[in-house]
Amino acid sequence: MSERDADTGLPRVLGCESCGLVSQAATIDERGFLQQCPRCGQVLRETKPFALQRTWACVVAAAVLYVPANALPVMVTTSAFQHDEHTLLGGIHELWLDGSWSLAAIVFIASIAVPMLKIGALGLLAWTVRHRPRWRRLERARLYRLVETVGHWSMLDVYVVVLLAATVRFGPLASVGAGLGLISFTAVVVLTMFATWSFDPRLIWRDAPADGRAA
Amino acid sequence: MAGIEGSLSVCDDCGLVHRWQPLGHGVVARCSRCDAVLGRSHRLSIDSVLALTVAAAAVYLVAVSTPLMTLTLRGPTESATLVDAILAAWRDGEPFVAIVAATTALVAPAAFVAFRLYVLFPVSAGIKPPGFAWCVRALHQAERWNMVEVFTIGVLLSLVRLAGLADATPGPGLFAMGALTVLFASIASAGLKRLWLDIE
Repeated sequence: MSERDADTGLPRVLGCESCGLVSQAATIDERGFLQQCPRCGQVLRETKPFALQRTWACVVAAAVLYVPANALPVMVTTSAFQHDEHTLLGGIHELWLDGSWSLAAIVFIASIAVPMLKIGALGLLAWTVRHRPRWRRLERARLYRLVETVGHWSMLDVYVVVLLAATVRFGPLASVGAGLGLISFTAVVVLTMFATWSFDPRLIWRDAPADGRAA
Repeated sequence: MAGIEGSLSVCDDCGLVHRWQPLGHGVVARCSRCDAVLGRSHRLSIDSVLALTVAAAAVYLVAVSTPLMTLTLRGPTESATLVDAILAAWRDGEPFVAIVAATTALVAPAAFVAFRLYVLFPVSAGIKPPGFAWCVRALHQAERWNMVEVFTIGVLLSLVRLAGLADATPGPGLFAMGALTVLFASIASAGLKRLWLDIE
């Protein structure tokens, strides 16, 4: 006897995320602790375990670390006469003053807009699952896919500082080092990635009808 | 048991069940409820993907072992490969940043290529290699962590920022990184779930 859907009475099925095989959802007596895909052994679940708790934990941690990531310098440059510390926003401002507006825009999107979008969007998605489950499901699903797609790009500034620090090594003449803010910023990027992966978009569609666009 | 289920497909994003039909050329199947991509018809045969992966392996070796950029400041010259840059970050007291950069720009791309080669050579000959299911899961993870495309733009951005300070020239590693980005995109477009169809 396999599990049946409460509304339709049809057997409930689970899709394998790794190989795509569709299996009938087993009852807890049949499957024991976890149900595995009969073809590839991937664990099959209705939703990811503790999805909301994990998402909230990562989002809150990322939001807290985002403060030192912006307040502390990410890059320290030393030249013959100067010792300069650059914050994320400071670096963008310098690019802007140099006249490289397009570059300033790229770095602004990667370092400021994308992390804020990820923290804000995942917080909104996790909150609405509990408190506004019926609100704009399709738009929320699209928002999640947007966060998934653009998420990687916030690593851009981390790579730039690592590369500059590795090449600008001319001793007292000119050298570049990473600042404390870079550790916080890297942690923000990694935490928002984990937050994205721990959220389960299937939660958006819980109790939604099959043609749920209108609901 | 695969009788009925073989013709079904479940949306990974919302869990809705769809009846699966073979797709015509160039067609993208989308979920009728949440609009996520359910599947694409594949232009690339398994042999083409294998060929692209072999090319990517060669390009990867060039990308990680040759200088990404070279910098000259009144005589002395500094150049850095990807491995140099990560080691420099480690030695400068940034082990966390070094580990994240190594995972996303060095290890994940290597896994992306190596596991595919291990899987695709036997599959193209009609054999299922040992540990096949585990390798496909590892490939899903490698795709998540791979950030070669971001790294390539990072190198370009560094070059531009250095242009005012010193004489900065792009190295062969940068071009290899750019080529790797394109190769990875076309390999990834072939999808991972279909590997299971190819061996059955």
